[in-house]
Amino acid sequence: MKQLLYIYIALFSTVIFDQNQSLFEQGNQLYNDGKYAEAIEKYEAILNTNNHSEALYFNLANSHYKLNHIAPSIYYYEKALQLAPDNQDIKNNLAFAKNMTIDAIDVLPEAGFSKLSKKVTDIMSFDNWAKVAVGSVLMFVIIFLLYYVTYSTGKKRLAFITSNLFLFLAIFSVVIAFHKYNLSKKDQPAIVFAQETVIKSEPNKRSQELFRLHEGTKVQILDTVNQWKEIKLADGKIGWIENEDIKEL
Amino acid sequence: MKFQKHILIVVFALSTAFGFTQNDSSNEVKFETKVSKKKLGVNERLRIDFEMNKDGDNFNPPGFDNFMVVGGPSQSISNQWINGVRSFSKTYSYFLAPKERGNFKIGQATIEIDGEVYKTLPVDITVTAAVEIPKDPNDPDYIVQQNIHLVAEVSKTNPYINEAITVVYKLYVSDNTGVSNWRELDVPRYNDFWSQNIDMKGVKIENGTYNGEDYRFVVLRKTVLYPQKTGKLDIEPLTLDISVQVPTNRRDIFGRRLMTQAHRTVSAGNKTIDVKPLPEVGKPADFSGAVGDFSFNVTMSKTELKASESLEAKVEVKGKGNLKLINLPKISLPSSLEVYEPEHNENVQTNLEGMQGSISDTYTVVPQYKGKYPTPSISFSYFDLKTETYKRLDSKEIVIDVLEGPTSGASSNDNIAANNLKQPVVLSSEQFAYIKTKSNFTSITPSYFFQTKLFWSSLLLPFLAIPLAIVIRRKKAERDADIFGNRMRAADRLAKKYLSHAKKALGKKEAFYIALEKALHNYLKAKLNIETSDFSKDIIKNLLGERKVDAQIIADFISILESCELARYTPINIVTMQQDYEKAAKTISLIDKQAS
Repeated sequence: MKQLLYIYIALFSTVIFDQNQSLFEQGNQLYNDGKYAEAIEKYEAILNTNNHSEALYFNLANSHYKLNHIAPSIYYYEKALQLAPDNQDIKNNLAFAKNMTIDAIDVLPEAGFSKLSKKVTDIMSFDNWAKVAVGSVLMFVIIFLLYYVTYSTGKKRLAFITSNLFLFLAIFSVVIAFHKYNLSKKDQPAIVFAQETVIKSEPNKRSQELFRLHEGTKVQILDTVNQWKEIKLADGKIGWIENEDIKEL
Repeated sequence: MKFQKHILIVVFALSTAFGFTQNDSSNEVKFETKVSKKKLGVNERLRIDFEMNKDGDNFNPPGFDNFMVVGGPSQSISNQWINGVRSFSKTYSYFLAPKERGNFKIGQATIEIDGEVYKTLPVDITVTAAVEIPKDPNDPDYIVQQNIHLVAEVSKTNPYINEAITVVYKLYVSDNTGVSNWRELDVPRYNDFWSQNIDMKGVKIENGTYNGEDYRFVVLRKTVLYPQKTGKLDIEPLTLDISVQVPTNRRDIFGRRLMTQAHRTVSAGNKTIDVKPLPEVGKPADFSGAVGDFSFNVTMSKTELKASESLEAKVEVKGKGNLKLINLPKISLPSSLEVYEPEHNENVQTNLEGMQGSISDTYTVVPQYKGKYPTPSISFSYFDLKTETYKRLDSKEIVIDVLEGPTSGASSNDNIAANNLKQPVVLSSEQFAYIKTKSNFTSITPSYFFQTKLFWSSLLLPFLAIPLAIVIRRKKAERDADIFGNRMRAADRLAKKYLSHAKKALGKKEAFYIALEKALHNYLKAKLNIETSDFSKDIIKNLLGERKVDAQIIADFISILESCELARYTPINIVTMQQDYEKAAKTISLIDKQAS
């Protein structure tokens, strides 16, 4: 019975996979023919099967860009960048899409230790750091056993030093993985979808207007109260925005 | 006195007859009543004329019950020929003095014209309390007061805020006086209004009625006002100093009255306007006070251009309403476009209906980078007076396409591959990248390895290997040290290795002994390296002897082999089989121990 289920699941997933591939190709064809809205429909059909890829997001964003949809195109470029942070094409087209936005926001530069730590943690995702940690632990144990088994002093010394190095690497990776995990839990970017929206000083309508944001601006969500989200801009400004005006990445 | 009256009547009759010839060219018979005033003080007099356009007989006046007939009836007839058309008028006039206050009806008069009886319509007269009559009715001031009126006419007394209203100042002058000159003493200032005077070109005398009496009038001044405040607002009166020609009692030799000059200050009364606020219901957020009927559009001088060229974006509102008081909505353009301060243009005409025309803001826009820049639609809200609702107009979204120019992205500059005589190959990374054609789909719900059970176990379990390895190594060292135990274990292993078949066949006599014999042979073969062909008891004895095995053990071994041969032909029970098996195992292990 269980085996049957597994077989069924396996078959079903491959069917979906094939479907998605054909949808993707149809979408690409429509895009090439200039039928961007129809291409978007095809791409979104893939998303509805709970599957994604950076290429899919990239193509969706391109289609929205061609239709001059500011916020959706930036949204999907950012989505694509989340899956492939170093892709040059995505960065290039995102720059094109960002040209369409109205808000000019200066990014606060980071300096000193925080810049360094960001550089180190951004080398890999926390999952990969976790894998590195597991690998290092394995190497440590093997080399430590070698140290235990070998008799010659030179070999023993070498094995001891390398095993300790691996142990250190393992601990370091676990720490970084936790750090990165916490960072990514805190990192809740969102894109402003409303054409123009008012940022308030408190999470209610009667409070004072702080500033205005326009479609396509990227913000960080800090907190949620009822129908409001506290957001932070890249230049450090903080305020409250209504839920429906933004879309979380 | 009587003579004067008659002349007056004749003049009156002539003028009315003139009116008739114009209005009524048909031969229709007209018989009507005309009164000099419909409202009079109890101490005043009233003149009533019964007028017909064909001669008739048997005139029968109504009974003037509540009035006293002071004068009359007097009769006047006028005949006119104009362009060959004859017009005729005959009038019977009475002068009446009311007996008391009240509302009275003057009944019908009848007359017989061409054998038919005609009747007039009854007339209502209101008699009020006594009015002050100066001692001298020929006093010029009194005449002016009675005959000259300055009136401010307001088009609407309860407008909305910012709705256009007009104030028209009219100077009414009765027929028997003349105005030779006037001077504005006090020009009204319209506080709380946005006002504009409409220039009057010359003075045009028109005919009209004032309080039911015929007057000539002149429009002095027209002003359009836009109330800027709600509530009750006063319009200041206009005050004029007028030089008036007033008839006197005296006459010249032709019987015409001599006129005298009089100065008179007249002012239009204070007018109060109740300004309504605009409704709060449905007031759009971007409403900035525009009231009227407008159209709104945003235009670009071009939509495709190169970077650093300029284009003009124009935000324009056209229509009728308080155009000069409107703040135009600001255009919002992408931040990467350079936008300069707008130039404001007004092309507004003001007439009696208010302002109309257009106002516009023109922005100069210079794109810096290549790309597409959609300008979001902007909205303009106004209050429509016709439907009394707010309306919102949205401009279309316009895309500015900058075809050439630098990109603003983080793209690198090392694009030029070769800079020699050959055509340089420029990598088109500053182009908008084409879609990806290949994709590997993964589940959208992420499955993380970090902090799973697998992660923790694979992180920590390897550490267990260290103590485990240490324990195993210790155990091994212990076992290596225990020589006797090792031997025993080796023998057991041997027995297990060679006698396993025999053990399985335990109980089945023939199979057991065949297996046992075969096992012993195999053991010897492995141990002593002898072939099956030269396998005899003597050789076994010698070989084992050479390997310093005890003679007793050799004898045991041989006896087991013999019992194997013997057992095939003799009945043997399971106990013997068991004994033989154990004996074989013991012997093998002993040989193994001793053989060197």
